Amino acid sequence: MARPILHNSCARATTAAESRFRIDVPIAPCRAARVIGLDDDSVQVVADAAHEPWRTARFYACDDTAEAADLPDPDDLRLRDLDRGGMRLGDELEGVDVTVMVASNDDGAAAASHIGLACSLRGITTAGLVLGSGSSVAGALASLRPYARVLLVPAEPDDLVHLLTALRA
Amino acid sequence: MLRPEINELLTETGPGTPMGELFRHYWLPALLAEELPEDDGAPVRVKILSERLIAFRDTSGRYGLMDEFCAHRGVSLWFARNEENGLRCPYHGWKYDVTGQCLEVPSEPEASNFCANVKLKSYPLVKVGDILWTYLGDPESQPPLPEYEFVHVPESQTYTSKRWQESNWLQALEGGIDSSHVSFLHSGQLNTDPLFKGSRGNDYNKGDLKPYFEVTDTPGGLFIGARRNAEEGHYYWRITPWVMPSFTMVPPRADHPVHGHIWVPIDDENCWVYTFDYHPVRPLSDDERSAMRAGHGVHSENIPGTYRPMANKDNDYLMDREAQKRNEHYSGVKGIAIQDASLQESMGPIVDRTKERLVATDTGIIKARQKLRKAVIALTDDGVVPPGVDPEHHRVRSVSVVLPHDVAFMEATAEDASVRPGVAQTTV
Ligand code: FES
Ligand SMILES: [Fe+2]
Repeated sequence: MARPILHNSCARATTAAESRFRIDVPIAPCRAARVIGLDDDSVQVVADAAHEPWRTARFYACDDTAEAADLPDPDDLRLRDLDRGGMRLGDELEGVDVTVMVASNDDGAAAASHIGLACSLRGITTAGLVLGSGSSVAGALASLRPYARVLLVPAEPDDLVHLLTALRA
Repeated sequence: MLRPEINELLTETGPGTPMGELFRHYWLPALLAEELPEDDGAPVRVKILSERLIAFRDTSGRYGLMDEFCAHRGVSLWFARNEENGLRCPYHGWKYDVTGQCLEVPSEPEASNFCANVKLKSYPLVKVGDILWTYLGDPESQPPLPEYEFVHVPESQTYTSKRWQESNWLQALEGGIDSSHVSFLHSGQLNTDPLFKGSRGNDYNKGDLKPYFEVTDTPGGLFIGARRNAEEGHYYWRITPWVMPSFTMVPPRADHPVHGHIWVPIDDENCWVYTFDYHPVRPLSDDERSAMRAGHGVHSENIPGTYRPMANKDNDYLMDREAQKRNEHYSGVKGIAIQDASLQESMGPIVDRTKERLVATDTGIIKARQKLRKAVIALTDDGVVPPGVDPEHHRVRSVSVVLPHDVAFMEATAEDASVRPGVAQTTV
């Protein structure tokens, strides 16, 4: 049977005034976020976002489409860290919570599949932002869809910054 | 996470606030038509966007919505006599018509023209479907009336209820576009609720607790697609439209009527949840209608004579720990509407979004906040008419559908997701 327990509980303690008493402790940031641009336009958007002061996010380009096509091990995918130069995908996913892929066309289809696979093996959530409009969106969407847990279509360039801010990256 | 100033920007809707100005560009539900059932009936107090108003229906059947307080000495006109095409304040007899125009001031001489200069602020109040809609903005920019399908199908095909929610409007809306909670909070109801059960979609819902999401930007708001695994090579898609500022529709299940909500700020710490159910092509059955009245589906069972749910903050929403243990109600609270209300109210009247820890699957909520914020800025800085004002944006439907893996939901369901008179909803 339902048993109202109001008088010995804190149900009332949700008034605006009472809400001030919510314990105030620092909230941990996202452990680590990785942001990867998959083609020229996307890399530009990623580079712009990289200028903000982030705590745990790192920003990469993965725009060598020829190289990605027939790679046996997804971890060997080459990334270009926008600050630190060439990296191997597998070495950059340690302790990561979320990987955001940004695409404006289907150039990055092969890379997206490697990144999606490497992330899924490690239990890393993937998100995809599809930039632009018109027919190029369809290609970008098709390449990201299978590998992104959540997709934003079409995304505006500043959505990347808003998403990372919301995630405390 | 949101910065405190953005949380304030999005949650405060009183006169003169930026978000309040945005809301004042839309037709909003002010009451259910059933609240003013007859000419010369009882006036009703209405608080909307932090403005206190009085609604009434005069001798000639005209609806009025105006300042609640008498111009003379501020008595609430809820106590007024509704007589001979006007509301008469019982204190000293001043009388007003549906436009707020003062018609009589009995203490003044017969030949006096005093009352001509007395007018209460008033707003239009128009019946469309089962709802009385108002527009609180500048009369110059008043848009055409709403064209949501649920208020335009024949009366026999539609039902609307409402309930008072003791929280800010935005956290209630965010619950509406957050599809991932259904597999948890409402899981007990999918196979038992008379307005839900018997849909193949329910099995997909429960069989795959980690849906993938696609958030698609549209001229009027968003479409949020949640995809779950279905049979080999196929996905089960549930597509939820959001039309700005606060209209959503739940994706359909089997041939059940389709439901949705509109959230309307009462003030910054309370909102009305208008909940509708309609079928595009057939009348609601007696069983369906009585289930809705009894608070099944997404409706609530209210305290008779009020729009406050029976299960509310004062009785801990009739929490039933045993039912929680039996998995009858995942949270121990009965009914989908109260499951949502209890949790959303528990966040506090205005949830402190600086303390959130969002994840990537909250992208729909993140994008909705950005759209609201950008619309407020575009309106404030450049007078841009916000998305969702144009009635064209109202002609949307929710969709549930099974599609092959390689099909993109937005292209495949473009027709299903818009209103097609005489054509049934697309549903699984
Ligand atoms: S206060 Fe209303 S007539 Fe006096
Ligand atoms: Fe819900």
